[in-house]
Amino acid sequence: MQVPSPHANDDERPESLIHRLVARLSHHALWDSLLMFVPPAAAMIYVVALFFRAVWLSQNVAVLVVACIVALGALAVLLWRRPRVASVRSAARLMDLRSGAKDHFLTLATVDPANQPVSLIARLRRQTEWFRDRVELKRDFPYRLKRSAYWSFGGSLVAAILIHLLLSLGLPGRDAAAAPERLRELARQMALKPELRGLANELEAVAARLDDPKISAEEKQALAQQIEKKITEQQKNQAQKDNRDLLAQAASALSGQERQQASSGQQQGEQQKGAGGIQTNAPQDGQGENKRTQSGSGEGKGDSSAQLSQGMDPGKSKQPGQDQNRSGEAKNNQSQPEPNQPGSDPKKEKPGKTQGGSKEGAGQQQVSSEPPPQGGPPAERFYKAGEGKEGLKGAGYVTVQLPEEVVADASGESRATKDSKNSRTRTQVPVSNVPLPTHVPNAPTEKQPVPIEYRSIIR
Amino acid sequence: MDPEQFQHTFRHLEVEVQKIIVGHDDLIRKVLIAFFAGGHVLLEGVPGLGKTLLVKSLSQALGLSFKRIQFTPDLMPSDIVGTEVLTETSGRREFQFKRGPIFAHVVLADEINRATPKTQSAVLEAMEEKQVTVFGDSHLLESPFIVLATQNPIELEGTYPLPEAQLDRFFFKLLVASPAPAELKEILKRTTGTASAKLSTVLPEDGGKRVNDMQRLLRQVMIAPPIEDYVVRLVHATQPDGANGGPLKSAVKQYIRFGSSPRGAQAVILGAKGSALAENRVHVSYEDVEGIVFAALRHRIILNFQAEAENITTDQVIGEIIKQVPRN
Repeated sequence: MQVPSPHANDDERPESLIHRLVARLSHHALWDSLLMFVPPAAAMIYVVALFFRAVWLSQNVAVLVVACIVALGALAVLLWRRPRVASVRSAARLMDLRSGAKDHFLTLATVDPANQPVSLIARLRRQTEWFRDRVELKRDFPYRLKRSAYWSFGGSLVAAILIHLLLSLGLPGRDAAAAPERLRELARQMALKPELRGLANELEAVAARLDDPKISAEEKQALAQQIEKKITEQQKNQAQKDNRDLLAQAASALSGQERQQASSGQQQGEQQKGAGGIQTNAPQDGQGENKRTQSGSGEGKGDSSAQLSQGMDPGKSKQPGQDQNRSGEAKNNQSQPEPNQPGSDPKKEKPGKTQGGSKEGAGQQQVSSEPPPQGGPPAERFYKAGEGKEGLKGAGYVTVQLPEEVVADASGESRATKDSKNSRTRTQVPVSNVPLPTHVPNAPTEKQPVPIEYRSIIR
Repeated sequence: MDPEQFQHTFRHLEVEVQKIIVGHDDLIRKVLIAFFAGGHVLLEGVPGLGKTLLVKSLSQALGLSFKRIQFTPDLMPSDIVGTEVLTETSGRREFQFKRGPIFAHVVLADEINRATPKTQSAVLEAMEEKQVTVFGDSHLLESPFIVLATQNPIELEGTYPLPEAQLDRFFFKLLVASPAPAELKEILKRTTGTASAKLSTVLPEDGGKRVNDMQRLLRQVMIAPPIEDYVVRLVHATQPDGANGGPLKSAVKQYIRFGSSPRGAQAVILGAKGSALAENRVHVSYEDVEGIVFAALRHRIILNFQAEAENITTDQVIGEIIKQVPRN
């Protein structure tokens, strides 16, 4: 006895609902696996991009690695998804649970109708249809993000950020070492091409110079720019794709090198700024006080230089912060300004502060590596009669005799030493107000400090 | 026979028996399921709980022939199956087979454990083969045929407990529990007054045929392969070397000496089918299986000494198995 189903259309049968659910759950599994594996793959591709930008990977290798990542990701998605695709059984079971049916869907989906009495199958289908109306796939089986997706996304993000930070911290030094090697390798490859041989030699030479620690970062940067320009021009003229690729790689490597040089120079500058602040290069009037706040880290009230003040003649100046400034002076070839001006304003003197600037020592040493402020005019207080912003008026020339100790010292560093005879401290600055020889015509009769802009000339 | 008719008859029988028997609804249902599944039932309970009354009421409601055999130690197999007696008809003497009480649709084997094993085995052979052989002649038993045996779990002195092989012939083993206070009150009301309930026969005159149709329909009930697999896993899990690792294996190994035979799995599935039909379904559900598995397996699992020492029952072990064996 066959009971006809009220639904003539196969799509309206409960079995079709189960198959639709299977398809839906299969999509869910696909999304799950995509959300599981795409974030790590994206993070890895980002890292590859970082390596490529840092010239650790050539374009071909980077593309190959990215392709491998994509392929592995796709494979992982497929392998991970396969066991999670809902079977007809599990889908039917879910339908039963959701609709409150007592395994109607399960039985209908899994029994072989050919081996069952038709009347019973029809009856089962009829009963199941009653439950079918209780289920709506979109409402009852919505897609929900799994915890694995959150973990995957979060983990990938954290890993990418960490690698980014690590690379940004560790890259310049390593890149600096690796870039010349890369350039040499490219030069070797270019040397194999007759039309690029000349450029290869130049590139080789540049690589050698880039390795030279004596050459400053600015020079290296300039070198890299120069050769890069040549390479770019050559690249435009090249007809062969291989050559163009090779030149593009070289240009990329050089631009990376330039960036590194620029960033290393910048970092140096930042370090100096961080440690020393702005160099005002403005020596203060007053006895024993140095307000030349090169470091900017505080006022110079040096205890250590106070020790040096023992045995000094009252009223005579000591060189403040001499010890601390020695190395700084050596670096920037800049002599310490004469702090004790004969004509200085006594009102500005602070008797309690005999020596200054000792606490700036460390800062000054680092700051002193900066180029001396030769271009700028000295502070107003340095101008004496006959001087002005326009320069010295009516001045002839000044012969400056360096102290013997300083002359003997090849490095020319200033230092404070105790004179054994007079048991007083003598400054060893490379500039001094020594009396001029008498035979010098038009020599000024008065002592005067050497203006700042001339100090380097004297050295 | 269609499922509606089955359910109607089944429900009617339940109602009629419940007119006499207070409570024990689940017991009545399972006895009926076993009857329509073609199995025999062992009822176990202390005296006075209404076991005999239940069987009597059932047979009366069914309208089928009913015989009661009170098992005693001196009961002989021939007292049950019958024997050849010498008779004289028209001057000619000949042996004629005198049928025993086993020849009935519904047989109550009261206190079956009091008879000797020889007598018990005669009954059990009839239960299995649905025929008896006397002096070389086989005699078919009537169909439908059901033996409802009772046994007393106490007063074990002078009894012959059924061996495991014979227990396996019973489709279900049902435990008759003491009535709840409300049920006891109702029992008193019904039995201590003048009013007495009267049963009506549910099945028509050709009740045997109707029952056979119902038994056929029960076997047609569909069971999904995953549910069949579940039954297989359940029954297999009762084997001490069958449970697949984990806590279940340790529990099973700890307490079970012998697991269920394949008859146990057959009983579970047929019982589940009967349960489904009783609810007007034509397919078995997991709930049907889990509702039947205790009655079908409790006498087929033999516990070891440790379980007895720890007062572990087979129902506890089966409950643990159901908890541990996954549905999917």
